[in-house]
Amino acid sequence: MTFIKVENLRKQFDPPRGIVAVDGLSFHMDEGEIYSLLGPNGAGKTTTISMLSCLLRPSGGDARVGGHSVREHPQAAKELIGVVPQDIALYPELSARENLVFWGKMYGLSGAALRRRVGEVLEIIDLTERQDERIEKYSGGMKRRVNIGVALLHEPRALYLDEPTVGIDPQSRRSILDVILQFRDRGMTILYTTHYMAEAQELSDRIGIMDHGRMLAEGTHEELVKIVGEEAHVELTVDRHLEQLATAWREMDGVARVTVEEERAILLVPDATVTLPRLFETAAAVQARINEVNVTEPDLEMVFLHLTGRALRD
Amino acid sequence: MRAILALTGKDLLQTGRDRLAALFTFILPILFTVFFGFLFGSSGSDRLPVALLNLDDGAPAQSLITTLERGGMVELRPYSAVQRLGLEEAVQKDNVAAGLIIPQGFGSASDANVPSAPAIVVGKMGSSGSQSVMQSVRSAVDRVLGARAATAAALAALDLDSSPGSAEFQGGLAVSEAAYEHPTVTVIAEDAGTEAGRTPRGFDLSSPGMLVNWILFSLLTAAVALVQERKTGALRRLLTTRVRGIQIIAGKTGAMLCITLTQQVVLIGLGQFVLGVDYLRNPPALLLAMFSLSLLAASLGLMLATILRSEQAVISATVIISMVLAAMGGAWFPLEITGSTFAAIGHVTPAAWVLDAFRGVILQGQGVLQVLPGLAVVWGYALLFFAVAVWRFRFE
Ligand SMILES: Nc1ncnc2c1ncn2[C@@H]1O[C@H](COP(=O)(O)OP(=O)(O)OP(=O)(O)O)[C@@H](O)[C@H]1O
Ligand SMILES: [Mg+2]
Repeated sequence: MTFIKVENLRKQFDPPRGIVAVDGLSFHMDEGEIYSLLGPNGAGKTTTISMLSCLLRPSGGDARVGGHSVREHPQAAKELIGVVPQDIALYPELSARENLVFWGKMYGLSGAALRRRVGEVLEIIDLTERQDERIEKYSGGMKRRVNIGVALLHEPRALYLDEPTVGIDPQSRRSILDVILQFRDRGMTILYTTHYMAEAQELSDRIGIMDHGRMLAEGTHEELVKIVGEEAHVELTVDRHLEQLATAWREMDGVARVTVEEERAILLVPDATVTLPRLFETAAAVQARINEVNVTEPDLEMVFLHLTGRALRD
Repeated sequence: MRAILALTGKDLLQTGRDRLAALFTFILPILFTVFFGFLFGSSGSDRLPVALLNLDDGAPAQSLITTLERGGMVELRPYSAVQRLGLEEAVQKDNVAAGLIIPQGFGSASDANVPSAPAIVVGKMGSSGSQSVMQSVRSAVDRVLGARAATAAALAALDLDSSPGSAEFQGGLAVSEAAYEHPTVTVIAEDAGTEAGRTPRGFDLSSPGMLVNWILFSLLTAAVALVQERKTGALRRLLTTRVRGIQIIAGKTGAMLCITLTQQVVLIGLGQFVLGVDYLRNPPALLLAMFSLSLLAASLGLMLATILRSEQAVISATVIISMVLAAMGGAWFPLEITGSTFAAIGHVTPAAWVLDAFRGVILQGQGVLQVLPGLAVVWGYALLFFAVAVWRFRFE
């Protein structure tokens, strides 16, 4: 069932001459799915999230959250969503608990319900033990976790996370991604923005690739990589019998194409995990040694490069 | 309403955690009040210090001393006979306003209608302090000796024992002295500078002046906190919750009022109970002045934090504006000493009007109706600042 529907959304800052940050964006999100907006800096991801959180008024188009239009019924739409901003929007002088209690009150919680919910959220973000320390003394990863925790207090049905893993260590990143996957398993609808391709690939049920305020392509990871073809590139360097081996590999099942360049053979392989061991066997049979192997699976980076002629990361 | 209280509570908690805020809110203001107080008036007491050399141990000398001390004009600092030179030196160096020497046999001859040894006032020519001392001593001497002479004359007329040692004389003297305590006709001298009021001393000037100065300055912490809240995106995030913009502004205002009112209670308490500044002469008028000052500070702080973007800009603007307002408003030195032109210019600032109200309460015991017109000007300014703040309030 569709939970969020974005139709022809548009935002121009300081009209009429200002920059068009979002330019006719349309997509939808099903209930309980993780949808990632992937795009480089300035693509319009934050602007899109701001409009879906009713912080910015669209210049054109509309979006419905749980059936409520962000234009017509922003208050009703807001009740359904939790927003994790790109910046750490917390009070550094206050402890994690004090921050959560304050924000809980802002979401309309009070009394025993507030205390219970703050306790639960502290468990979810794994900060129960250090809840009374001031946030300013936390590591970047811990701050990010509190930043997420605040958005969970009122048990929203949808969660927007705007680049929640920027600038933190791999371990914290891992724990944040795990928490997000847990939410999805509990049926929460999640909108995630990132410019890390690997994150989008791991987390998302579907991905939208954005640039210059427009949607370039959309679909599951598999659907997207099909745009650049499905085969992995395998580059092999051998010490002898290169031509002989190339001929043998051309005959082999599971190898789509072989080209020879100087000392290397480049193979297009639909399934590298199955084919690679067999390539080594054939080499061993003619007593040739494979010195170097390079496997490049088709990925979103290649898709973005293919669609825009630019790399995703600057 | 609950959201507004939560916002106010959060701001108060934040300020409470800020060490620098404590410095600006309480420590510096107290230090400055005391420092400026000593600068304005070197003596902590409003009595004129007088060096006393008493060479007589008789009853008239004792009653002269008591009368002078009760009179409240002078503060006697006793010297012994061997310190006579020290007394003159103290007068020379202006350590005291004058010296008073009570000679041996003072008052003893008066009963026999023979001139007795006179009390001597050692002072500097033309010094207004020694003039005042001279006058106080003269009237005290008249009173002491007058009471004795009247008693002796009455007893003599009744053919009773009029010698100073007799029981009749002691009884009669007590009656005459009591009559002086409750005179039927009195003359009260009024100082034209402070109508029906007290002569301002150092702390009377410094305490309300520094109060206004530092309350205006303390809006710095609140203004900076608001700018930081905008910078971290917390303000923007608030808008993704249930609260509305106007509630956020109300919460902030509440916090600023709480902070500045607490600050005022502390500084006024210091003035009243430690420095002897009489703030409590008219509590309703005082409360009104306090509330007006807090309102002014809150609205100004909110406006500055709203129209300026960066923390740097807010800090410099607050420092400059609060200092200029305070200085022009007469918080650093009373406008009366600056001449009427400057005083008129000073009254363009709301600070001058608030300060007038405080000084009116302290020095003249003004009531609500008397401070109201001046405070109305302050409210006008506060309203203007609030209007600009609400109009230009930005969340990012
Ligand atoms: N308040 C604003 N006023 C004017 N222009 C803005 C404003 N906010 C964003 N923009 C512009 O809109 C464009 C899109 O910005 P946006 O923040 O949505 O990008 P983003 O995809 O979130 O980028 P990043 O990965 O850097 O966060 C940018 O060119 C940005 O400069
Ligand atoms: Mg962004």
